[in-house]
Order: sequence, then structure tokens, then C-alpha cells
Amino acid sequence: MEPLLTQDVRKPNGYTLDFYVEHDGYAGLRRALGMAPDQIIEMVKASGLRGRGGAGFPTGTKWQFVDKKSPNPRYIACNADESEPGTFKDHVLMERNPHLLIEGCAIACYAIGAKVAYIYIRGEFLHVQQVLEAQIAEAYKAGYLGKNILGSGFDCDVWIHRGAGAYEAGEETALLESLEGKRAQPRNKPPFPAVVGLYNCPTAVNNVETLCNVPLIVKNGAEWFAALGPEKNGGPKLYCISGQVKRPGVYEASMHVTLRELIEGERYAGGAREGRTLKAIIPGGSSVPVLLPEQLDVPASFDAVQKAGSLLGSAGIIVCDDTTCMVWLAENLLHFYRHESCGKCTPCREGTDWLHKILHRIERGEGQMRDLDLLASISAQIGGKTLCAFGDAAITPVQTTLKHFRHEYEAHIREGRCTLVADWRARQPIGAH
Amino acid sequence: MIEVVDTVTLTLDGRQITVEKGKTVLQAALEHGVSLPYYCYHPGIGIDGSCRVCIVKIEKMPKLQTSCSTVCTDGMVVDTQSPDVHAARAGVFEFLLINHPLDCPVCDKGGECPLQDFSYTFGPDNSRMEFPRRVFDGEGVKADVDFGPTLMLNRNRCIMCTRCVRFMGLVDGDAQIGVINRGNGSEIGTFNDEGVHSLMSGNLVDVCPVGAITTRDYRFKSRPWDNPSVTDTICTQCSKGCNTTAWLKAKPEWAKGSSLIRFTPRFNADVNQYWMCDIGRFNYRWVEGDDRLRAPLVRDAQGTQQRASWADLMPKLRDRLAQAGQSSPDGVKFLVSAHASNEELFLFRRLTEELLGPSGPSTITVSWRVTPKQQPPRTTFKVPAVDAPNVNGARAFGLVTGAVGDPQGPSNVGALQAAVAAGSVTALFVFDPGPDGTLGDSQWLLDARAAGQLPLLIVQGVLMTSLAKAADFVLPGASFVEKDASYTNDQGWLQATSRALATPGDAREDWQILVDLASGLGVQLGYTSAATVRGDIAARMGGAVGLVGIEGLAFASTMSARTWLQASNPSERWKWDFMYQDLPPVKGAVEPSSLPPPPGLIPLKEVK
Ligand SMILES: Cc1cc2nc3c(=O)[nH]c(=O)nc-3n(C[C@H](O)[C@H](O)[C@H](O)COP(=O)(O)O)c2cc1C
Ligand code: SF4
Ligand code: SF4
Ligand code: FES
Repeated sequence: MEPLLTQDVRKPNGYTLDFYVEHDGYAGLRRALGMAPDQIIEMVKASGLRGRGGAGFPTGTKWQFVDKKSPNPRYIACNADESEPGTFKDHVLMERNPHLLIEGCAIACYAIGAKVAYIYIRGEFLHVQQVLEAQIAEAYKAGYLGKNILGSGFDCDVWIHRGAGAYEAGEETALLESLEGKRAQPRNKPPFPAVVGLYNCPTAVNNVETLCNVPLIVKNGAEWFAALGPEKNGGPKLYCISGQVKRPGVYEASMHVTLRELIEGERYAGGAREGRTLKAIIPGGSSVPVLLPEQLDVPASFDAVQKAGSLLGSAGIIVCDDTTCMVWLAENLLHFYRHESCGKCTPCREGTDWLHKILHRIERGEGQMRDLDLLASISAQIGGKTLCAFGDAAITPVQTTLKHFRHEYEAHIREGRCTLVADWRARQPIGAH
Repeated sequence: MIEVVDTVTLTLDGRQITVEKGKTVLQAALEHGVSLPYYCYHPGIGIDGSCRVCIVKIEKMPKLQTSCSTVCTDGMVVDTQSPDVHAARAGVFEFLLINHPLDCPVCDKGGECPLQDFSYTFGPDNSRMEFPRRVFDGEGVKADVDFGPTLMLNRNRCIMCTRCVRFMGLVDGDAQIGVINRGNGSEIGTFNDEGVHSLMSGNLVDVCPVGAITTRDYRFKSRPWDNPSVTDTICTQCSKGCNTTAWLKAKPEWAKGSSLIRFTPRFNADVNQYWMCDIGRFNYRWVEGDDRLRAPLVRDAQGTQQRASWADLMPKLRDRLAQAGQSSPDGVKFLVSAHASNEELFLFRRLTEELLGPSGPSTITVSWRVTPKQQPPRTTFKVPAVDAPNVNGARAFGLVTGAVGDPQGPSNVGALQAAVAAGSVTALFVFDPGPDGTLGDSQWLLDARAAGQLPLLIVQGVLMTSLAKAADFVLPGASFVEKDASYTNDQGWLQATSRALATPGDAREDWQILVDLASGLGVQLGYTSAATVRGDIAARMGGAVGLVGIEGLAFASTMSARTWLQASNPSERWKWDFMYQDLPPVKGAVEPSSLPPPPGLIPLKEVK
């Protein structure tokens, strides 16, 4: 499949309005404005577009849930928080193909009957925000945003809100809280944002990549989009491949592509570095279970990866070769999760810190065998008991490494050191701050 | 009209129960006597879903659910006792305690702490935490830091339920408290560490489920098992009339110091919800303070006030009053504080009618102080400006203009002031049973007295106010916690204070003083108790708005805290059944078995 979302990202002026319009940009919006909003929702449903933010929820269905009877205004909240470790696709789209997102926002607003879309952008993405803001201004000038868009009578505004740098702000209800100017802490669900969202109004929260797919669907049709990938996994997909591979980066492919092709294929990441072998792959951002090298011959689709025992999540594929110590990996990730826990609910606030302390102790060679049961038990005490999905995300690195690499933990405890690398004492967690 | 209430029927631990539609599983469980722990939920400040201790199993749901945030539906099957619920709940309790200092022996909450109670009942029996605990401001009581003029904060004890944060935002209306930092480092704080400055601050101690927020007033003063007696009463410090409980410390005969040690609010849906203001909560020390009037005083020929017995005082007072009355029949005036109860107002009315005929009550001026309270505009608990409980009672008796329930402004003492200035007042009888100053401005009286315009000044009251100091006769009466009396609040609700303490020294209940005084003046009113006064009010003006039902008012008696908690808060009942059984008896404590069953005083509402 030829790239559809990223084909022009390397062109120097690929991000400009002129370039975009020259290449059939905003044709989707034009077409959408000639359709009934419900038709667009049906079209998106038929396309099989699933949310690219992590959960893979069907986008058309989400839009359909948006409460049409409410007397309140409705909103689109675009999730541009992109904080999942190993994920860096949305930022490419926003920086190098901003008008695709702007067009997607406008069509989404039209479809659900909203007049305003907020792009909640990750605090660290200052440079991306500057590009996006400039291009939004261009779109206003050209009449693709603002009042009476393209003479249709439809009004739409797009605003950018920059976060303060918190992973949890990417959780949809925490994002809404943060948009409202409060702490980025999640709300109880139900009610879901589609009914009670931003300022208690019906709101659809959609990932950047999700919205970027919408113009393609409207322009080329639902069948075309669905046929690009396996059943229920339609459309193009961006994969972020990072870690110990020859060519890490963002790759666009259909979801027919297998994980092995993505990681080892010459068109993609090119496999492990010289003289190294693959050890473990985390296919969907740090919050999903690891897959072993022999499990990679499955399509990199939502359904197939789930069947293989993990999740496609945000498609942040983290590759570890044989030099990676799995205890250190778990400690490093828990350092991240304990730091990013919003602290609202008890199991996550207290449990992630405790897990990290125990992992740190084991990694330093001061652990005891009973710590392994303790890790498993604390993880189980967190899992399924937290307010938002963060808790389940945070225990995954512990549970999955314990499951597949228990021998590495035992070796640490027995030898009193990391047996894998010589410089283990000097290593520090490399969490995002 | 029969109110049709929509209900749903569900199964709770194998029992079929029917509850009002819209209730949550937690509410349903508590109402039906099933003990479930909860911290972040509070009926007055809503659902947060953050503490996670209230989890239960609900059939057809993949995960355990928080009962506080799950609304009951028809046919729902709830299990609060299954092994997985037990294990999950114990897990959350282990988390709550891994960083808790467990300094219960020096913690004010110890003994009445939901963290203790629920942990004992639902928590694991040991902890597997081996790392140093989280410490914010220091170890032990060094962690106590200033939290505004009324409170102290100990962040180590905090369990992050955010009840305090939400109370300030939702009830107080000024979100002064917030959470600082994130995750495991989250801490409660105020902007610039300025602390909480609010008229509602004391409620934070009630809502805080641990000893993280304590009042400076009650700190280290007592322990729950040392104050086993309580009396349900109302607050009389303003026209709202919050329902409260007066807590008495049990102490041996010889012990000094006061026995009244705190007030806490009592739920009343119509009046004060779950709250009370800091004025009512903290301003009580005067009741047993040094300025309290404990004996009658009579000014002697040399001009000094001398202690007297009631038997000495009464004939002298009668002679002076009769003399004043003779010299100028309408020269005798009464200045009555709106702190006077309905019974007392009625007695003044009766007395003046008997002495002066139908126009007698026109010699009575009712007075009160008005202090506008500084509160955030968005507060849901307005503290009224009128610092007296019974302006509406005075209206019901025709002593103040306006109808019961009308807005209340400042009192009007202009006519009396003019009469005093004109020198036509030969005797003034002041009744002032409230805290100092609540009678309103009295400087003009002191000035008139100094100028010789007030030949005779009689003060019946509770404190050695400057007016009492200037008086020829001082009659020591009862404060609001020393008498069974009724008041009509600003909304027109008839409510009652109950006797929690005996009057100090020779002081007497005010109805008794007034009946004796009348009798001295040759008027036999014929009342033998406050209840007979109420009976007569009902007989003469029972239908009057604000006084309906006065004859049937029931009053609370002092009872053991245990009985009180059982009666007032069903969700706490198990605590008294399962705990405190092995505590040593406290000297002077009221033995529960010696007490009558809890009276149904002001009807106690179900736990919401
Ligand atoms: C802890 C946590 C962090 C998340 N972070 C992000 C994020 O950074 N970006 C994102 O698009 N979705 C994130 N999500 C998923 C969102 O909650 C939500 O599912 C998504 O934005 C919905 O958009 P979609 O349907 O287009 O995928 C996160 C979820 C959780 C639980
Ligand atoms: S699981 Fe709880 S503490 Fe963790 S991020 Fe979600 S709400 Fe916050
Ligand atoms: S101080 Fe008390 S009320 Fe406030 S969050 Fe902590 S435990 Fe809860
Ligand atoms: S009471 Fe239900 S989560 Fe706190």
C-alpha cells in the first residue's frame, strides 16, 4: 500500500495550505458539507475506522453515541496528547500534514453537530503547536474554518489547548478535565463523554490519526477504505517502531502487514542490529503485553495482535534485542508509571510506587525470592480495581515480564546483580519528564 | 396526596430489596444494614469514585464495581461478601495503610476514625510494606502544620479522598484547598500555604475520614472514650438554628475545667444539611468560662455589687420595681434579647399583660445584633446576619413586626432609646441570655446610666457583660445548653435546645426566675415547669405560625455516645457493636443501661 497519510511528509512545503489544496485537499470537507451529518456517520461506520488512540473503538459508533437530544452544544476533542511511551505518530501528522487534521476536525464537527473542535496537544509539542496554529490561521483565511464554511452555512472553530505535560492527560476524561482548566484526572464512567463530556456537554474524543483518516473516507468512500485492510481493520495505519532495530521510525502500512515484516522487513525497520537477536517486542506502546520473536507472524491489526496475546494499542512497537535486561525494562517502565500516576485512586497511587520500589531493589541485586510473589500479588491488587485504565496499563510490564522472563528476575536475586550487562550499576531509568 | 416514588428491586447478598430509583448500590446497602466501607463518597459532597474501598461484585459486570458510583437497577444482583470482593477490598486497604503513619495513639481521630474502623473490619491483618513510609512535613506530630486560624493539617495521615477539596468547592463555595503534585507525591495544600480561611472550616474535620485535619480547638483535648455523653440540641448563635450535638467530657468530681468540649453538626435536610458554621462550633467556652454569672448580685448602698441569695434579692427587687412603677406607671420597660426562647418571650408577655393590662406587651422591646458574614458568593450554606435564634418567635408573639418567615433585618430600639433619652424610663429590665454582645449595641444604655437617666437597671442573663456590671440587680440565668427551650428559626421551623449541663452555681432556668419574679410582684402565673409554660402557649395561641406543635416538643436527654451514634447514624452502628467492647470504663461516664432509650427528638433522617 502506498502511503496515504504520510506520502508528502518529506516534501519541504508539504505542510502548507497551497500544497494541500493542490493535492486535492479539503475535497473531503467540500463533499461532506453536501451530505447529511448522519450519512457521514454511517459512512465512517461502514468504513470500519477504529480509534487510533489505543482502544481501537469503532469511530462511527462513538459518533453515533453522541447525545443528539441534548440542548447543550456538542464538541469534538482531538486527543493530541501522544504520551504513550514508544508512540510518536500523531506528532508527525500534525507537524507535516496539519491540514489533514484540520479537515478531519471540521468534518467530524459537521457529522456530530458540533461547532467547535479543541485540539488538546501535549505540553512538550511546542514546535508542533506553532506549525499547527499557523496553518489553522491559514485555513481560517481561506474559508475552510470559521463562519459559513465554503458557503454552506456551517460554522466551525478549531482551538488548540496545550497540556502541561502529563501522560494521564491523554486519558479521555482526564483530557476533558484538563481542557476545562482542572487537574488532568479522570472522571467516573458512565456517564461517557459522548453524553456528558466537555463542560458537561456531549463530546467525542478522537485521536489525531483517527481524525486524519476521516477526510480519506469521505473523499474515497467507505468501501475503498475498508478494503485497504483486513476485515474490521480498514484504512492505513501508522506504526512507530523504536528500540533496538536498524531503522527505527514511523511507517505507514495497511493492517495486512505482519509484525515481522514491520520489524524485519527491508521496507520497514530492517531487523535487529548487526550480531543481535530479537528478544521481546511490545507491539502497542508500553502498556501492552510483550510478544516473543516467534509470535510475530501475525497481521499488525487490532484483532490479530489481540489474538496473539497482546494489543495493538497505539501501534508503538518497542523492540528489545538480547542486550535488554527485562528486569531493568520493567523497572524503567514502572518508574515512568509511578511518576505519571495521577494519584486520584488508591490502588494506582500507592501500588505503582510500591511496585517500582520492589523492582528497583531487585534490579540493584537486593531482592529476595519472595519479592516475585509480592510483585504478582500487588499487580493483581491493582488490576481491574482502578478508576481508569492506567492501573491496568501500569501493571502490564510487571506481569508480562514475570510471565516470560521470570528466570531473569531469579538470576538477579540469586547473583545479586544484573547478569546481562556489565555496566548495570550505572544505568538510570530513562522516563519521560 | 400519596407521593408515588419510583422504586427498583434488586438482590443484595441474596436478599431482595426495594429502593428508591436513583439510589446507588452503596446507599441501598447502608440503608439495609449492610456494612460497606467508603471514604471518598460523602452524602453531602457527592461521589468521586477514587478511594476504591466500596467495591462490590455485580452480576454480569466483568470487573468489580465501586458501589458508590453504581446506580441500582431492576434485577441487579449485588454481592458484597464473595471471596473476590473480600480479597479486592483487603487489597485496597493494604494500599491505604502502606504509607499511613499509624500514629493512632497521638492522633485526635483515634477511636472515631473511619480508617481505623474500616481497616479493622475489612483490611488485611498485616502489611507487607518494607520500605520507609512517605513523609511530607516531618515524622510524628512534627508533621502537624498550620492550616489556617482554626485548623491543623497532618499530610502524612491523609488518604487523598479529596473530601476536603470538594467540600470547599461545593459547600463553602471558595475552593481554597487543592491537591498539589501528582501520583504518590500528591498532597493536600492551600495557595501559598495560607491555610483555610472560612466560616465553615470546622466541617473539614468532620468530613476528613482520618486525623489529617484537626481543629485547634479540640486538639489533644479529649479522646472519644473520654467523652461518652452527648446531647442532641440546636445551635442558637444565629437565626438558622443548625441541629447539633453537644459533647460532654466525662470527668471525676474533683477535676477542673469544662465538661462541654465540642459541638458537632447533626443532619437535618431542611435546616443545615450535614454542616454548621465555625461560630456555632467554636464559640462555646463562655458557657463554662470565668465571666459566667453564677450568683445573684445586688448593688449595695455603697454602690458595689454584692452576692446575694435569691431569697434576699427577690423582696428588694420587688420593692424597687414597685416604687418605680408607682412613680410612673409606664416608666418600667423591658429590653429582651432575641436569644429569649419562646417560653421566655411568652412569660414576658404574660407578666406585662397581668401588670399593665392588654397594652402591657408594648413595654417590651426585642433586640438583636446583626453581623453580615463574609462568605463566598457561591456558598450553599449561608450563615445569616442575625446573631439570635428567635426573631421569628418574637414575631409569633407580636413583639416584633413582620410575619414569621419574613426576611430579618436589624432590630428597632429607637422608641426605647428616645424614651430613655427623654428621662421617662424609671426602670429597665434587660434579659440577655446569649453570648456577650448578641443583645446588640448597649453603649447608649451605659451612657444613659452614667448620665443618671436610668434610675433602676436590672439584668437577667448569663455573662458579666458591661451592662451586667452597671446593673443594680443581676439575675443569673441559664445558657442554651442548660435548658429545654424552643425557638423558631428564620425559615419558621420550631426547634428545641435540650439540657446538656446543669446551670452553674445559683443560676436558675429563666422560666423559673420570671415566674418567681411575677409571684413577687403579686402575679401568680401558676406554671410549675417549662412544659406547663409550653402547654399554656399552645392553649392560648397554639395555631400561631411558628408555634404549632410546641406543647408536644420532645427534648433529648444526655445519653451515652454509643447510644447516640446508634440512633443517629445507622451506618456507624456496627462500629459500636463490634468495637469498644473491651475498653475500660471511664470514670463518670454515663452507663448506657441506665439511660432511657434514645428519644426521637428532632426526627433523624436516614443516611443518604
Ligand atoms: C492512561 C491513558 C493514556 C492515554 N493516552 C492517550 C494519548 O496520549 N493519546 C490518545 O490518542 N489516546 C490516549 N488514550 C486513549 C484515550 O483515552 C481515548 O481512548 C482515545 O483518545 C480515544 O480516541 P480514539 O477513539 O480516536 O482512539 C489514553 C488512555 C489512557 C487510559
Ligand atoms: S488508575 Fe487511578 S491514580 Fe492511576 S491514573 Fe487512573 S485515576 Fe489516576
Ligand atoms: S485531608 Fe482528609 S479529607 Fe482531605 S483528602 Fe486528606 S484524608 Fe481526605
Ligand atoms: S466510596 Fe466508592 S470509590 Fe470511594
